[in-house]
Amino acid sequence: MGKSIPIQALTDLPMWQSIEEGALKLQFCSDCDTCRYPPAPICPSCLSMDSEWRPVTGEGTVMSWVIFHRKYFDDFPPPYNAMAVRLDEGPIIVTNLLDPVPGSSLIGRRIKLEYVDHDGRKQHGARLKEAD
Amino acid sequence: MSKGLHKVAGVVGVGDTDWRADYAAQRKGEPARFDGIGLASLAFKRALADSGLKRDDIDGLIVGPTTPYERMGEVLGLDTRWGGQADAMLGVIQACMAIKSGLAEVVALVYGNNQRSGKVNYGGSNAAGGQSFLSYVYHAPWGFTSQGALYAMMFQRYMEETGLTSAQLGQVAVAQREAASLNPGAVMQERITTQDYLDSRFVCEPLHLFDYCLINDGGVALIIAEAERAKSIRPDPVMIHGVGRYDLNSGATSLEPRLTDYYLPAQQKVAEQVFNMAGVGPEDMSSAQVYDSFSCHIPLALEGYGYCPPGGAGQFLEEGHHRLGGRLPVNTSGGHLSESYMQGWAHQVEAVRQLRGQCGARQVPGCNYVHYSSDVAGKAVSIIYGR
Repeated sequence: MGKSIPIQALTDLPMWQSIEEGALKLQFCSDCDTCRYPPAPICPSCLSMDSEWRPVTGEGTVMSWVIFHRKYFDDFPPPYNAMAVRLDEGPIIVTNLLDPVPGSSLIGRRIKLEYVDHDGRKQHGARLKEAD
Repeated sequence: MSKGLHKVAGVVGVGDTDWRADYAAQRKGEPARFDGIGLASLAFKRALADSGLKRDDIDGLIVGPTTPYERMGEVLGLDTRWGGQADAMLGVIQACMAIKSGLAEVVALVYGNNQRSGKVNYGGSNAAGGQSFLSYVYHAPWGFTSQGALYAMMFQRYMEETGLTSAQLGQVAVAQREAASLNPGAVMQERITTQDYLDSRFVCEPLHLFDYCLINDGGVALIIAEAERAKSIRPDPVMIHGVGRYDLNSGATSLEPRLTDYYLPAQQKVAEQVFNMAGVGPEDMSSAQVYDSFSCHIPLALEGYGYCPPGGAGQFLEEGHHRLGGRLPVNTSGGHLSESYMQGWAHQVEAVRQLRGQCGARQVPGCNYVHYSSDVAGKAVSIIYGR
């Protein structure tokens, strides 16, 4: 089975370093300001190859969520959740809800990212901004 | 619009393997009889016999993605003047392109997959497909893995937006199992009820066990020949009337096209292309064969290709139009959910057999056109088969 493994292509490394430091940074195009997620060597909007890394607010809105009932990783015993969140800066990221999953829909709920220890690495998770 | 690949080629031979028997034997703990290459070889022999051709008549070879190209050609003794590797839907299209351009006249397409006995993983730290689709592995640090979970994430939002219920989605699994119960070759033949579906365990909620495809061993082969040659080979070749493809790549890894439009724009663009090339419309289709790794592919295709309005799939399913005897019987073999998970290859065979009238108890009466559709991670492809 094995544990979950972060993909760390050359362009991903600054992002993982920012997560380790507890403040997610994402990559923005120096020419047209488009956010590249996942990080990429070229802007899919204007084909510029220049970019800069900037911290994000860590706030966003839930697009969707799922609950895993089957085990895929040694470090994720089921049941556990995963959520797709649209950050206020634009991109959709996947994270975990750190609060108990409410009985009602999560879609449209506002969240803020936190940084948690996970099996020897830091990664982000989400808290609902208004308690359920 | 040019006629493109309209009736450039036809299917003259089909073959598959004994997936029901192989599945039962493996469940009893018996070792597999064949690896992927062996399964593809058996299917090839059967397709060749079905066509009545000799091996040396074949001058083009397309090998599916799960066996190596060179070794496949080597074991079959096929030195060809044109060849390549492709998935089911692109394989059929590439065969037509090669024939149209004069690079080949009779193309064999072979596929074999020992995914069950070979213990292929579609999720987790070594998820199959991760080399081609970054989204299958990129979100693993948050435990988010498997193609099923990607569709579960997509469908959770779709269900809230459209009001489609679990019981309505369950009609896909119920109908396909009903069709499989009439298909002697299907792996799963025991009928299920809506309640069985709702009571089945979740794999990745909101998707249940019965929303997922089988994992079984098998092989499939097709022989596609240039139109005139096809008619000389057999009186009833099944002609390819239209093909189309559209790929949504932008934002794919961050799930943007999945979660915003449910890939509908890709299917709508393909619909325009494939129906124009074929000179027919959705109302002319006798049956649809839809790539169904997960049941939720069916409602999305029904909407994308205009069989019902966007947001109308729940009602379409509840009214049973997709069942045998309905307006548009879908996955009449049982599909990936109940017949065999052959990554779209067996769907082509079912389309051909329906048009030949060889489907016995599950035969669609008066079958004139069959629409094949696949939408794997926003890469939408369609093929229209007819006589």
